[in-house]
Amino acid sequence: MSDEPPNLDELLPFDPEDPGCQATLDVFDLYVEADLSSIDPATRFPGPAAHLRSCPACRLDYEGLRAAVNAFPSYGTG
Amino acid sequence: MSADAADRTVVEWMAGLRGSGVRRDNTVAELRDLLLRVARFECQRRRGLLRVGGPELEDIAQQAANDALVSIMAKLDEFRGESRFTTWAYKFVMFQVSTKIGRHFWRTGPATVDEPVDPDRIADRLATAPDQRAEQRELLGALARAVEQDLTEHQRKVFVAIALDDVPVDALAAELGSNRNAVYKALFDARRKLRTSLAGAGYAVSATPEPR
Repeated sequence: MSDEPPNLDELLPFDPEDPGCQATLDVFDLYVEADLSSIDPATRFPGPAAHLRSCPACRLDYEGLRAAVNAFPSYGTG
Repeated sequence: MSADAADRTVVEWMAGLRGSGVRRDNTVAELRDLLLRVARFECQRRRGLLRVGGPELEDIAQQAANDALVSIMAKLDEFRGESRFTTWAYKFVMFQVSTKIGRHFWRTGPATVDEPVDPDRIADRLATAPDQRAEQRELLGALARAVEQDLTEHQRKVFVAIALDDVPVDALAAELGSNRNAVYKALFDARRKLRTSLAGAGYAVSATPEPR
């Protein structure tokens, strides 16, 4: 039998820890702020990190949110 | 919008949005303007992925800002202050932009090819080099058979559209009258089933990979 080709994971990414779109969207704001604070978000949110590796729609939204927070920052945490 | 809208504190946002009268109206208007700026920014960022521009893109941004505002006002009590208010608000814009663009896809995007999946179609998607296609033909054939034989009709439709034809998840959700979460779940199940099929046929594909 042939070995798994290296690019098959592009077609069949799969992680049992993947919680799905809604659970990932629920923590998007926390995830992106951890990311922008140089805290590894995958350590704090391993499930959503797994999801972002597999879901192109949520990954696109995440990249957009990260870019928007950079472009329109807010310091209103208090 | 005031120049400092993005710099309001969360206390100021909440007091304004939960208040009444002119103060509430002004705060809602400032939030809506901020959401529109973010929506336009995101539409421009995705412009390369779209076949729309000009007035249509502005229309998508306006609709996304309006619907994001409605969602935010409805879910205001769910905001727990763990992130900046604006970061929390912006995620509704992202989701709405994706949803609106998904609906536009079928007006401007390519149709999916409803033909049996064969090894070459998978190899094309994986950009497999010609010399590798021969080496991997057995595996690609097994995967094509698994797509045709092991998936439910719904899983096959979702997998082929997203994984092989590059249809955006939100566009397929709009076409199916479904939502992103449900479509992704079908894709997730399809990928797991295909991995299991290949592993069962003896290929070195982990059916349930270790968490990365």
